[in-house]
Amino acid sequence: MVRSIGLRVVNSLLVLLASSVLIFSLVSLAGDPLAELRQQDPPVSPAVIEAEEHRLGLDLPLPQRYLHWIAGVVGGDFGQSVSPSLDIGAELGDRVVVTLRLVVLAMAVAVVLAVGAGLVSGLRQNRWPDLSLTFASFVLLSLPSFWLAVLLKQGGIWINQATGYRVFFTVGFESVPPVGGFWAHGLDLAGHLILPTIVLVLVHLASWTRYQRAATIRALEADHVKYAILRGLPRSRVMRSHVIRPSLIPLITIVGLEMPGLFSGAIITETVFQWNGMGALLLDALRRSDVNVVLGWLLVSASAVVGFNLLTDILYRVIDPRMRRADHV
Amino acid sequence: MSETTLAAQPGTGSASAWAVARRRFGRDPVALVSLTVVVAMVLAASLGPSLWTFSHTDITPDLSQPPSAAHPFGTDTLGHDMLALVLRGLRQSLAIAFMVALPATLLGVAGGVVAGFRGGLVDNLIMRLVDLILTIPSMALASFLGSRLRGVGISTFTLSMVLAALLWTSMARLVRGISLSIRQELYIDAAILMGASHPRIMARHVLPNVLDQVIVSITLLVGTAVLSESGLSFLGFGIRPPDTSLGLLVSNAKDSAMTRPWTFYFPGLAIIVFVLAINFLGESLRRALNPHRVTNDHLDRRRRRPRADRLQPRPSRLQPRPSRRRPGAGAAAAVPVDRSTAVGVEAAEAVLADPPPLLEIDQLSVEFPAERVRAVDQLSLRLAPGEVVALVGESGSGKTMTVSAVVGLLPVGARLSGRVRFQGRDLTALDYDQWRAIRGSQISIILQDPMTSLNPVLTVFRHFHETMQALSEGRVAEAEVRQRAVELMRAVGITRAEDRLHQYPHELSGGMRQRVVIALAIVSRPQLIIADEPTTALDVTVQARVLDSLDQARASVGAAMVFITHDLALVAGLVDRVLVMKDGRLVEAAPVDDIFARPQHPYTQTLLSKVPRLRAGTAEPAVDHD
Repeated sequence: MVRSIGLRVVNSLLVLLASSVLIFSLVSLAGDPLAELRQQDPPVSPAVIEAEEHRLGLDLPLPQRYLHWIAGVVGGDFGQSVSPSLDIGAELGDRVVVTLRLVVLAMAVAVVLAVGAGLVSGLRQNRWPDLSLTFASFVLLSLPSFWLAVLLKQGGIWINQATGYRVFFTVGFESVPPVGGFWAHGLDLAGHLILPTIVLVLVHLASWTRYQRAATIRALEADHVKYAILRGLPRSRVMRSHVIRPSLIPLITIVGLEMPGLFSGAIITETVFQWNGMGALLLDALRRSDVNVVLGWLLVSASAVVGFNLLTDILYRVIDPRMRRADHV
Repeated sequence: MSETTLAAQPGTGSASAWAVARRRFGRDPVALVSLTVVVAMVLAASLGPSLWTFSHTDITPDLSQPPSAAHPFGTDTLGHDMLALVLRGLRQSLAIAFMVALPATLLGVAGGVVAGFRGGLVDNLIMRLVDLILTIPSMALASFLGSRLRGVGISTFTLSMVLAALLWTSMARLVRGISLSIRQELYIDAAILMGASHPRIMARHVLPNVLDQVIVSITLLVGTAVLSESGLSFLGFGIRPPDTSLGLLVSNAKDSAMTRPWTFYFPGLAIIVFVLAINFLGESLRRALNPHRVTNDHLDRRRRRPRADRLQPRPSRLQPRPSRRRPGAGAAAAVPVDRSTAVGVEAAEAVLADPPPLLEIDQLSVEFPAERVRAVDQLSLRLAPGEVVALVGESGSGKTMTVSAVVGLLPVGARLSGRVRFQGRDLTALDYDQWRAIRGSQISIILQDPMTSLNPVLTVFRHFHETMQALSEGRVAEAEVRQRAVELMRAVGITRAEDRLHQYPHELSGGMRQRVVIALAIVSRPQLIIADEPTTALDVTVQARVLDSLDQARASVGAAMVFITHDLALVAGLVDRVLVMKDGRLVEAAPVDDIFARPQHPYTQTLLSKVPRLRAGTAEPAVDHD
């Protein structure tokens, strides 16, 4: 078990390394960060451009630039930003906490709801609970996350105005200025999480529900369910140990695979709710052509994705004894 | 064995398969509605902008007007007609969606087929690339590429290529999976042996077989592409002003959703309706191409038999029942069998019938009205306590349906008529809890494949624990379970029983697993054991030993047994009586010695003539037995 987990960790690090190469090549080849500087009118002196190229390390060949960059990243240095005062590493650290709070909460809520809805749907196949949940899933699958986010935000504002109280927080991840006191601050953060979390949950709920439904149906058809009934087990026991428990295993993998999707959804949701999270950082960097921030951003999100995949992989091994056998071989 | 595989080669009847799918699609209202909506929106997007009075660049003097006759969707703050904007946006979104779907499909199918077909290094390289792309949030990378390509002027074409490069991965995964399984088929080997080139095999044999799934995935891909494009445009990295797209329109209206709702809802609804329609279209296509199979839900509460079936008229008990004769037994069938003169069979039956029968099946029929199939046809039999009978017949002869009817687990949709009595108790129309007093405690069942009948996530110990717990009123102590389980496991020939108790089913060999199932079957000391081809899934070399274990286990509790098999030779030394089934009917019933010495029914004779071959195993048909 330990050895196999160790192997998975090594494997994940290799994937991350390959991912960093891919990210670096794509970003470096996609365009020249100094294009705007070069095209400025009146022209900027070549000396200034050269100095800027040197400062950003653009005068070196690509592989060398990559090595330079990755060595820096490992040591916590993400390189120079276009805006000289920005410490990319520290900024990424702050922002990723904000975004992960949203992503992890949304993921947890969505998993719980999807398991519940998927089980109901699978166990009441083609009857009204299933038919209505199926229709609802299809509608949710078709909702653009930005449209839903705007709708909820404007709805929240409207309710606030109508009631005259601040029922929903619609801007930012915390109040400005921040509320003092540990509990008050925590409550403030939680309040700001409500609407964005609902958006992300609704966007990801549908596909996970469909998946859980399919897994439940597969589990119901299994021979060991028939055998459990034939052994005279009580219905509740058959349901718990022989239908529900095996049906939960496949969802773990899917949730791990959908992490990038959650990050994408978070970018849009954060933009609508004006969060100072990873989404805003990326969009700002894109507007300022801040290549090193974009690189760092992509690397951090790739690490989060790889990390979550590793976590679900290990969880899968712990839960499914069949996967443990691979360790003996 | 090769004929069957070759005959099963898909693609031979594909023309008719497509016709069937088209008919099924035509009868599905959801399919027709969603197809109509998709076609209507595609038409509106392609023809609408040129037909509608206003163009998306026209500025009218009506600023911020709600919907009216002149402007059905209203106008925005600059006086643009919203309908014209939505039509233009829809056109751009759909154009991009189709331009994404086409290259993504081609790339995904090509990558998937090549990876699945070639395997090895090629497969590894392609799939690792897919994994890598999946580590990057597509929205972020697409935004980045969108922003970088601004210099060269982001066109709908470049945006589509960026999205296609990110979205082909799911298609590749799907196609690879199917190609991989097709690659295992024998007809592919045959094609390779016949010298067909690899690209030719992929085009001729693999592609047609992934086509149906690919079509369904294309609809999903188009939906995803519409959502991705509009999301990017919303963020400002897709289509930019002065052109417009649905995402951009929603973005412009994001602060006026409550004050000027028409600017917000119409573009949003255009996206939602289109994506919803195309998702439903995909779902209907899937249903049409892969006919909906009824799930065999063993816990379905509706499977309890309708009471009306019990009220069906059935022959009076006073009339001679046809089943008491040996139906169609050659020359004897012409003469009604006289019980006093028919020595062998009838005498044996009379003797065995002396004590009250343990199991009494009377005129049992199992029908599937939907498929117009009669799986079991007026079958009657009696089983004395402790008696061992074999139910023999080829697959599809109704053996398994008969015992499924006995234990109340017929598939949903089956209709049962006739009577099943166990120890004098009518087994028709019991509910789940009433069945629990019989299944597992008085009747034990052993299924064909021990790999699938044991729960893969529970240890052997857990299986014993839950079985014993189900039989007991109070809580069962774990130590007690352990002790009894080890005793039972030793009794059926399991070595190192204590160790095996804590193993999972997949850690045991097939023979050991089936021994565990046999041990579980005698936990309750049942009166009847039903063994449904218990050795068919096992290796030929262990079949005999497992059979011995089963016989000993049965004898140790003195249970009667119904042993289902297609292999007459297997049961020769095991059973008292043989019942031969064909096409749902009982064609011959006789003591085992008579069956081997004087088979009456032609079908029994055919079965017997196959005995040596079956016994030696299908791989070596020429070997004689004994």
